[in-house]
Amino acid sequence: MDRRFPSVLPALRLVLLPALCSFPAATSLSAQAETGRIVGKVVEAEGGAPLSGARVVVVGTTLATTTKVDGRYALADVPVGSVTVRVAMIGYGSKTVTGVVVTAGGVTTQDVSLAGQTTQLEELTVTARVEQGTVNSALDNQRYSVAIVNAISSEQMSRSPDGDAAAALQRMSGATIQDGKYLNMRGLGDRYTQASLNGARIPSPEPERRVVPLDLFPSSLLSEITTSKTFTPDQAGDFSGGSVDIKTKEFSGTRYFGMSFSAGFNTAITGKEAIFAPATGRDWIAFGSSPRALPNPVAAVDFSTPLTTAQNNELVNSFRNVWSARQRSGSPNGGFGLTLGGNLPVGGTGLSYLISGSYSYTQETRKDEQRAIAQPPGTVGGEVRELDRFDGSTGRSSALWGGIGNFSVNIGAHTKLSLNNTYNRTMDNEGRFEHGTSENLAIPLQIQRLRYVERNIYSSQMKVHQQLTDRHYLDFGLTASGVRRKEPDRSEIVYESSGATPTWYGFSNEAAVRTFANLKESTLEGSASWQFRFGSTPGNRFVQIGALYRATDRDAENHAYSISLARQLSAAEGALQPEQIFDGRFSQGSDNVLRVSPLSAGGSYTGRDRLTAAYGMLTLELSHALELIAGARVERSDVRVASRSTAGEPSLATPSYTDVLPSLALNFRVGENVNLRLSGTQTLSRPEYRELSPILFREVIGGDNVKGNPDLQRALIRNLDLRWEWYPRGGEVVSVGIFAKQFSDPIERIYQGTSGTRIITYVNARGADNYGVELEFRHGLDMLAKGLTPFTLFANATIMKSKIRLDADVGSITNAERKMVGQAPYVFNAGLTWKHPNASASATLLFNRVGERITEAGELPLPDIVERPRNVLDASIAFPVFGALNARMDAKNLLDAPYRLMQGVVIRDGYRSGRVFSIGFSWKQ
Amino acid sequence: MMLGVGKRTLAGLLVGTVALAACKSDDPAAPSNNPPTGVTATSLGATSVHLAWTAAASVTGYILERAEGSTGGSYVEVNRPAATATSYDDTGLNPATVYRYRLAAVRTAGTSPFATEVLVTTSAPAVVNITADITTNTTWTSTSVYKIVGFRKVANNSTLTIEAGTRIIGDFATVGSSLFVLRGSRIIANGTATAPIVFTSAQAEGAQLPGDWGGLIIIGNGIINRSGTVNIEGTGTSTENPLIPYSGGNNNADNSGTLRYVRVEWAGFAPATDAELNSFTFAAVGSGTTLDFLQAVNGFDDAFEFFGGAVDAKHLVSYETGDDHFDMSEGYVGRLQYLIGFQSYIQNNRPGVGGVSSDPQGIENDGCNGSGCDLAFNSTPFTVPVVANFTLVGPGAAGPAGGGFGMVLRRGTAGHYVNGIWARYLNAGIGYRDADTKARETAGILTIRNNLIAQTPLALQAGQQAYDIGANAVILEQATTAASLFTKLPTTVRASPGVAGTTAADFDWSLSAASPARTGGLATFTGDLLTRAGAFVAGTAYRGAADPAAAKWWEGWTYYLRNQL
Repeated sequence: MDRRFPSVLPALRLVLLPALCSFPAATSLSAQAETGRIVGKVVEAEGGAPLSGARVVVVGTTLATTTKVDGRYALADVPVGSVTVRVAMIGYGSKTVTGVVVTAGGVTTQDVSLAGQTTQLEELTVTARVEQGTVNSALDNQRYSVAIVNAISSEQMSRSPDGDAAAALQRMSGATIQDGKYLNMRGLGDRYTQASLNGARIPSPEPERRVVPLDLFPSSLLSEITTSKTFTPDQAGDFSGGSVDIKTKEFSGTRYFGMSFSAGFNTAITGKEAIFAPATGRDWIAFGSSPRALPNPVAAVDFSTPLTTAQNNELVNSFRNVWSARQRSGSPNGGFGLTLGGNLPVGGTGLSYLISGSYSYTQETRKDEQRAIAQPPGTVGGEVRELDRFDGSTGRSSALWGGIGNFSVNIGAHTKLSLNNTYNRTMDNEGRFEHGTSENLAIPLQIQRLRYVERNIYSSQMKVHQQLTDRHYLDFGLTASGVRRKEPDRSEIVYESSGATPTWYGFSNEAAVRTFANLKESTLEGSASWQFRFGSTPGNRFVQIGALYRATDRDAENHAYSISLARQLSAAEGALQPEQIFDGRFSQGSDNVLRVSPLSAGGSYTGRDRLTAAYGMLTLELSHALELIAGARVERSDVRVASRSTAGEPSLATPSYTDVLPSLALNFRVGENVNLRLSGTQTLSRPEYRELSPILFREVIGGDNVKGNPDLQRALIRNLDLRWEWYPRGGEVVSVGIFAKQFSDPIERIYQGTSGTRIITYVNARGADNYGVELEFRHGLDMLAKGLTPFTLFANATIMKSKIRLDADVGSITNAERKMVGQAPYVFNAGLTWKHPNASASATLLFNRVGERITEAGELPLPDIVERPRNVLDASIAFPVFGALNARMDAKNLLDAPYRLMQGVVIRDGYRSGRVFSIGFSWKQ
Repeated sequence: MMLGVGKRTLAGLLVGTVALAACKSDDPAAPSNNPPTGVTATSLGATSVHLAWTAAASVTGYILERAEGSTGGSYVEVNRPAATATSYDDTGLNPATVYRYRLAAVRTAGTSPFATEVLVTTSAPAVVNITADITTNTTWTSTSVYKIVGFRKVANNSTLTIEAGTRIIGDFATVGSSLFVLRGSRIIANGTATAPIVFTSAQAEGAQLPGDWGGLIIIGNGIINRSGTVNIEGTGTSTENPLIPYSGGNNNADNSGTLRYVRVEWAGFAPATDAELNSFTFAAVGSGTTLDFLQAVNGFDDAFEFFGGAVDAKHLVSYETGDDHFDMSEGYVGRLQYLIGFQSYIQNNRPGVGGVSSDPQGIENDGCNGSGCDLAFNSTPFTVPVVANFTLVGPGAAGPAGGGFGMVLRRGTAGHYVNGIWARYLNAGIGYRDADTKARETAGILTIRNNLIAQTPLALQAGQQAYDIGANAVILEQATTAASLFTKLPTTVRASPGVAGTTAADFDWSLSAASPARTGGLATFTGDLLTRAGAFVAGTAYRGAADPAAAKWWEGWTYYLRNQL
């Protein structure tokens, strides 16, 4: 099975390459006249807002045009050669850009920024090359946003080895990434972070939470990731740590075609023997769930009455007879991507389009994997002791593919219509083998687990931006999105290994288990906002009102079945391989050897959420140096969660939350390039669906029993932020910020002790505080020595503290006062970039370290479980090969520091993942 | 007498209201003193019968006699109706029971022969649905059947009194239905050997399965060795089944009431995976409580589980169970004597409540395990029960491969285990697990003495702690079969599907004439064992639960049906 992928990739190359390579030839047919086109965008120098109605003239010709609502312009039939372009607009200083090179039949992009007349009185003349820098600076989201934001541009992503949005986000100040997917901002759990795609909420494919795994988004499809750390009323109010917006690429102005290939290897896997799960033929395209679907006889059988022998045998035989993880040689990683952008000459600025797709296949491992549970010290002041230690390894094959199709068109001079479509699909196929000793049973065991997870996400969005008059703007949009997660046919089988030959330990709920989970969530979101600019000069004086309605529906299903023995097997029978035991030899006719029983599922539920929000917001530039943003948002959420225990007991929770979320921000322009920002806001955090269902549910076989709480209140969070920021030059920043957060009724995961298995549930804690300092630095090293001009250093650090206080009467068996789960005392990122002054060669070294943080509160008297800091070093080199062909080399996890979850001195979970090296080529035209 | 209610009720409906004429006449040769005619008996309900007859000539009165059962039994006089009477209502009867009545006429010349006997079956008792918690003093009488619907509590310091012979059923449709007696409240369930109190499944006989309903859970104010809030396993699974804590008690002399001659059958529902209820749960129950003559039948989890507390008990029988027969932990310091545990098969349980246990044992004792064990296995107070005169028979090769120990001592438990029998265990007599448990032996609060291990490959589990069985008169007789030790054990250990289950007639726990267990007991207790056993448990010259010189204490009230599906 594993051979299939490598055999397909070359086949694809053969098909795709000639087709793609013929493309430039086809387009060059249009290059007939001795003229070319100039296209571009005119933006405000402060904040990068598009300016519509600006006059663009090719000096010395009659060629002229006016920018459309999105600031874009297009000038056709411009004579070839170096021309001068002049841009003028009432209220703004005019600008003349020299040296714009037009080639025959070519398209030249020239963006221009205009400053308000209060700051620029005289007309400026600049070269085309210099002008691009000022535009970049104007587009610096971080600098001009009314809220405190951090942004990662596609350029930054392209200089790092970060293949997806989650990996890219770990470079952001205050960000930590859990399990390679989930974002925690400022040490707050994923509950306090929300994610959107092009401004619309992304549905979540996780059954237990409403978080979005950000590894779903390949970075090659992204133009920018922005994290807003403070709330403004035009944003959704259910976050506190950060609100991430992932923007997919948009047409940049020039016709564009690019493709890339990469291949790599992991030092721990490639060419080495490692444990992997058997694959099906369609895993490599992430369509492996159907061969793993719940067998029909199992789905159809009525478990409310005892099964007959014949039924038991039929069910046993209907399961896919795959149980064992296999040792085999790892294969190299690989991927490719294609991007096609262009502008069809429809109307004035034409129909812009960008179509992009990517595919990657990787193998990862967790070698030297170990896990154990911790036991309190047996003596006063003693050390925590290790129990149930298991050693083993895990191998995972993953495929990630997806694409975007983004289109935009200006209709008349005042309306821009855009259509953004995204589809991504992932697959993770994981096999695990481990051996250890069970303290409970006092015998050594061998456990094999196979797990396949498939996720897909789609989003289709229509957005309209309309300029009603030169002061009134209307925006509205409609987004339909959905997500699906399938975890079919997860299996676990336990062998007892006290004798010479391991034998199946067939008497238990956990002897042989198959689990089938399925989750679907879909969201329809409609929003509209109206903005009115007032005052006599351009600048930020406007009133904005808006409304949003979002309907979310979720359907989560979980079914687990255990196969156990009805009689003892002989020594020879027990020593058979799992695939022999379940090949039918014990499940024919009247054989009464194996029994199938459904395990309490309880994980099935349906959730729906109807969110209505409205806001009003005033942005007032009180003076050139002081800007006030004030407003409030009202959100009402009507939630309905219906669930049913395996035994058929129904439950329904229908909470409704209505809240007013005020926000006030003051931005001082202390100096030309220095801002001081102050923000005070209130935000909230609502319970996730599963947290409201009072049915006890076993998360994972052998895992914890989890139960929701239908009486949960939403948490209110008061946020205070102060940040000083200095922008020495375009692309450079030095900032210092402090933040403080106070939580009322924060929702916290707690444990309740029982005479058997503990129960995990959720309660509103009495309160919590979180405060910290954030430092960010991004500066060229030419400040130290002229010779260091090509180097840029960036670093960010967040130092924080938190405390959560639980009420005694919730019956939690954890510390009643402790740090919040997930909060690290510090997060540190640093990077050094070298960029060739003229060529496009660059090199980047990236470092990341996260302080020791609680991953799970400890059951008293045990200490909390913490994740130990790891030093992570990545490097990336990009250089041109010839012509439009560029190459890059990436090295990830160079230090291969072990991952460690510790509870006192006991390693609860630990492994190494190996170093990954890859090389890639990209070509664009 | 609780057996076979269904069948007998059916028979009663067919014959009870009609006077049968087919029986033989006592004396047909005395025409001058004829017996009364037209005698009929009609059930008036669960406990009374209406008798009527045709007025006979020249009588001075009548004699009415009654016998129980459709045959056999002896007639007793019920009443002497007056000459003018033509009917009589007999009251105070047992529900769903067949009675025979006969009537004679009394004349001056003498008493006539009895008329042909008439049969009647009293009605099945009315079913009272218990849908709310019991928060005031309440009595349940044997004339009704009480159906526990949902997770019901005896709460608010109230007392639930249950009359002898009362039948309580756990609703099958309302999953997990169970009865909790909360701290401060009491249960007084005084059954008798002839009229035990039975908690059973609401399913029809033959269709009952382990895990049909929850079980009986008693929570006292005794002491456990775990800190923080600790709740009963199997609670907290839904809104209808909130967490029930049992931690924080401070009085090991607490009194939760009395259970005598009580059976709990087909219990052990698991409201969530691996969160089963036991047949009998005694959580922090104090020594003021009386437990005597209790049987757990075919529960799905443990038969008797003691979490902390100090309650004493005698005469406990566990007949087939899903996990351990006797389980003590969390600082339990009570004393148990005369225990019987019997296992012969792998249960097939109510669907949807999970699979069988991975490690069923005869006795499984833990020191401390779970949250709030502040010193892990060394948390105090230690679990130090006195367990004497036990007869534990395992399933041998017919049971699960997991477990299979007569007794497992682990996680720092202590205790004295004396004068007992472990027979037919798959793996070993004793699993003596960890160093902290071994340390209790060194400290003199753990002894295993004068026990017989028969038909079992090993005395001690290999690779675990050592124990000097020789010095402690723990005898391994591999070749001695379980069946040879007792007067009667079923010959077929595991019934085939469709083969009728065993009955009480298949079991006689008394020691066979040649049984080596007749001797070898520790007759005189000394040291810590004596101190802890006190007057409640005395040494015996024999081993096992049956005193060769005493009456068979299990006879009459224990139950042995198994629904092998």
